[in-house]
Amino acid sequence: MTESLTETGIEIRNLSFGYTKERLFSNLDLTLGGGNIYGLLGKNGAGKTSLLKLICGLRFPDAGTCSVLGWEPQNRPATLLEDIYFLPEEFYTPPISAELYRQIYAPFYPRFSAEAFREYLGEFDLPTKKRLSELSYGQKKKFLLAFGLSTRCRLVLLDEPTNGLDIPSKSQFRRLLAGAGQEDRIILISTHQVRDMENLIDPIIILDEGQIIFQQSMYEVTRRLQVEMQMEQPSGDRVLYSEKALGGYVVVRRNESGEETQLDLETLFNTVIANRDRIGELFAQEDMKVPERDSAGGLA
Amino acid sequence: MNKFSVRRFGLLLRRDFSAGYKSVIIAMAAVGGFIFLVTVVSALGRQLGPIHKTMYYPLLFIGGYVVTSLAFKELHLNGQSVFYLTLPGSGLEKYLSKLLVTSVGYAFGSLFFYTAISAAAEGINRLIFGYGHPFFNPFQRYTLIAVAVYLVTQAVFLVGSVYFRKLAFIKTNLYIWLFGIVLAVLVAVITWLIFRDFAIGNRIKLEPYFQRLGESGEMQAVFVPMAEKFGQVAKVLFWGVMAPVCWVVSYLRLRETEV
Repeated sequence: MTESLTETGIEIRNLSFGYTKERLFSNLDLTLGGGNIYGLLGKNGAGKTSLLKLICGLRFPDAGTCSVLGWEPQNRPATLLEDIYFLPEEFYTPPISAELYRQIYAPFYPRFSAEAFREYLGEFDLPTKKRLSELSYGQKKKFLLAFGLSTRCRLVLLDEPTNGLDIPSKSQFRRLLAGAGQEDRIILISTHQVRDMENLIDPIIILDEGQIIFQQSMYEVTRRLQVEMQMEQPSGDRVLYSEKALGGYVVVRRNESGEETQLDLETLFNTVIANRDRIGELFAQEDMKVPERDSAGGLA
Repeated sequence: MNKFSVRRFGLLLRRDFSAGYKSVIIAMAAVGGFIFLVTVVSALGRQLGPIHKTMYYPLLFIGGYVVTSLAFKELHLNGQSVFYLTLPGSGLEKYLSKLLVTSVGYAFGSLFFYTAISAAAEGINRLIFGYGHPFFNPFQRYTLIAVAVYLVTQAVFLVGSVYFRKLAFIKTNLYIWLFGIVLAVLVAVITWLIFRDFAIGNRIKLEPYFQRLGESGEMQAVFVPMAEKFGQVAKVLFWGVMAPVCWVVSYLRLRETEV
């Protein structure tokens, strides 16, 4: 029997939520399936952390429905909590050693892998005897990340996971996370540090003004958008976004050539935020015509 | 399975124990040392009254209320609240683990602890001085009633622990005082309204009224049974209603906590 998405994924429908009378989300819809490392991007105050908290039941929606792995997270059912690991930006580590932490907290997670935990600790070069409260901020974060991935939870929520990590740790983090993907696992990363997430997060979700304004795989992004450097300031309707860069302008256009170009996440984010309607229309099109090129390689 | 699992409940208790056992040992050492000192010094001064009853009650009530007020401290601390609420365990399991530790756990733990410490202190008194205070008897009727009163009243402090972000013990006490004052004012107003005809200046003199009731036989026929009924209702409210209401209120509050 095939499980429905609500039993394996996240399904949010017409969700409204706010801290004051002014709504942070109004009729927000979002569907996430397993096997992906989703990147949740948004401006400051867009509600990324609030969305993560709604998904793991730390905040309750004012209206609408939120279904996570078949459960309503606001009830905080134990079975769901056994399948969710949330690493917040502001976290807590008790004053005990890594080994004691494992002994006390690992039994809460039925699928916890002690072997994976040892591997991750080794990968991050973390001490097991030292008290967690004595570790640096970055070390604590790496420890909680190692523990979280070892829980084998089907839903892993990470809020700004690379904040406070040094350069080697960021590489280790990417490597570790890339290897932690499973068929039924959803990893949702909320971040501002988009450069740390290049080639890791896919699909990309952009949250703005209380709505999910963009949710696309990098394959679709590459298929529909084209980025290039040019010397002169670009103009014309076909330009979706441009910004001054060293040696010219970075220009994002609709991909009419079919040629694949590497659009970095920061540029993608700025493009979407600056042109949410046009981007929405462009990605809503079922298929795109790829025009013939002329003899000079330009578009006919 | 989702509401209550013995396995998860045991894990939560184990977690609470491992997180708090060092503080408990330090507190026990401090309190134990104090009890020991007072017991020996008062024997030295030949003050041989029932000292242990006097010393056990503050340990049970004040100590227990303080411990209960700290039960849900992590629910109000940044970082820790997220950690606690996302820890795999139902609201009921989390609530019952705290309730068990702060009510029955504390009451019987303190009883056992006090009995052992006081027995040791009195043993030393008898060895050194040849005399001592009467031994503390944990099975004495008044001690057991005190434990029962604690088990009921600590539920109020459990509500405070879930509700108040900071200084839960002090705030709960203030609310109890406030409640007492409101109740006293209410009783005073009702008394004034009923018996204002007996007022002389700003005082109510009820002696003539009671005398009249006594003479007419109404006191025995109506007021004594009414007072008995009132006493029974108050007992039921105290022993049977107050604690369960507080438990339900604090459990629901825990379930509704958002961070």
